[in-house]
Amino acid sequence: MEISDDSQNLASSEQLFEREIEAVFSETLGLIHIALVSHYQLSEQEATELEKDLFVWFRRFCFRPGASVRSNRPYLLVACCQFAREYQKYLVGTGVRTTDERLRGILDREPNDVAHDFARSLQLYDFRRSDA
Amino acid sequence: MAYLNVPIDVRTDDEIRACLEDSDATLAVCQLLRSRCDSSPAVVTQEASFAYRWIADKGTAVGVFDEKDYFLGELALIVANANRQLGHLTEAERWINKAEAGFRHTVNPAPLLASSAFVRLAVRYAATDFEDVLELLPSVISSFERFGMQRELAKGRFLHAAVLNETGRTDEAIATLKQLRTSPVVVAEKPFLGRVLASLGHHCSSKGDFSEAMRFYNEALLPLQEAGLSAVVAEIKWGVGDAYRAQKQPARAVTAYREAIQDFRELGLVGTVSLLHLVIAELLLEVGSHREAEWEILAALPTIDEERMVPAGVAALALLKESVQQRKTDSRALGELRQHLQAGK
Repeated sequence: MEISDDSQNLASSEQLFEREIEAVFSETLGLIHIALVSHYQLSEQEATELEKDLFVWFRRFCFRPGASVRSNRPYLLVACCQFAREYQKYLVGTGVRTTDERLRGILDREPNDVAHDFARSLQLYDFRRSDA
Repeated sequence: MAYLNVPIDVRTDDEIRACLEDSDATLAVCQLLRSRCDSSPAVVTQEASFAYRWIADKGTAVGVFDEKDYFLGELALIVANANRQLGHLTEAERWINKAEAGFRHTVNPAPLLASSAFVRLAVRYAATDFEDVLELLPSVISSFERFGMQRELAKGRFLHAAVLNETGRTDEAIATLKQLRTSPVVVAEKPFLGRVLASLGHHCSSKGDFSEAMRFYNEALLPLQEAGLSAVVAEIKWGVGDAYRAQKQPARAVTAYREAIQDFRELGLVGTVSLLHLVIAELLLEVGSHREAEWEILAALPTIDEERMVPAGVAALALLKESVQQRKTDSRALGELRQHLQAGK
C-alpha cells in the first residue's frame, strides 16, 4: 500500500503533538503532585490515580481549539485542584475522612484561585527554564 | 465508525452507551459529524441532536471534569451549523444558545464561545443581516487571532469576503479571497480550498470574465470532489449554469442547473432545489418556452408552501400561483419571488 506524503506529514505532526502533550504534562507533574499530596492531603496512591485521570483529560483537552499545549498548563492546574477538591469533599462528606483546619481552608477556596497561586510557580519554572 | 454506521432507530442502548460514555469515541463522533456538515447536513442534524439529547438526559457517566459540558456545547454547535446549511435559521439560533450554555461551564470557555459567536454571524449572514455581520465580525476575528485559532481565523476572513461582496465592496472581497487561496491552513484543508476557489469563480463570472471563472471552477472541483459531494460542488454547477446563461447558451445553462438540482436534492437542501427550479423557469420564459417554465414553477411551489420559505414574498407567491393557473405566467412575480428566496438563502 502506498502512503502519500500528506498522510505521513499528518502522522508525524500528530505524533509531535502527542509528544508535546506528554512533555508539558511531565513538566507540570511535580507541581501537580505537590498540590495533591501536600495541599489537598491525598495519599500517594490516591494522588497517582488522580494524576492518571488528569493526563487522560489533559490529552483530550489539548485537542480543543484555542490554545497551544504549553499555554494550556494553567487549565491543567485548575482541573487538578477541581478534581482533588471534589474527591476530598466527597470523602469528608461521607465521613470516610476527617478534616483539619488546613484541609478545610483549602477545600473552602475556589479551585480557580488555588490554581492561580500554583500557576505563579509555573511562571517561576518557565523563567528559570528560559534563563538556563 | 461502527456507531454511526448503525441507523439511530435500530441502535441498542448498549451500543449507544459504549460509544457516548467513552470520551475518545465521542470526540471522534464530533470530528466526523463536523466534517460531514457540508455533505450530509440532514443526517448530521439527526445524529448530533440525538447524541446531544442522550448525553443531556442519560449521560451521567460521560467524560471527566468539564467534558460533559464540552461535548454538549460541541454537539449543539454542530447541529446549529447543519441547520444553517439546511436554511433552518431559527432552529440554528436555538442550537447556538444551547452550545453556549454548554461552553460556559468549561475550563477555558473563551475560544469555544468565539467559535459559537462565529456560527451566529454565519447565520446572520444567511439571514441577509449584512450590516450586523460587518460590524461584529472583526471582534470575532480578533478573538481567533488572540487564541491562535488559525483555521477559524481563515473561516472568519472567508465570511468577511462574502459580506464585503454582498455590500458592494467586491474588490476587497476578491483581494481577501486571493490571500486565503495561498494561506497554508486553507491549502491543507481541501474542501475549504475548493470553497475559496469557487467563490473566486463566482466573482469572475459576475464580472463577465467567464473563461477565468471556468478556470477557477475546474480548479475548485478537484479538491472538492476528493472530499465527496458537498453543497459547494452543487453551487459550482449552479455558477457554471449562470455563466452559460450570461453567454446566451440557455440549453447548456439548463443542463448545469439540473445537475445542481440533483446534487442539492441528494443533500436534502429542498429550499435551494425550489429556488433553482424558479431560476430555470425564468430562463425558459426568456427563451419563450412558457409551458416548460410552468412545469418548473409547479415543481417548486409545494416546497415553498410547505417550508413557508418566503414570509416577505407572500404577495408575489400568490400572484405567481394565480398566473400559472391561468396559463399566463407573471414573469415579474416570478422574478420577485426568486429574489426573495435568494435573499434568504
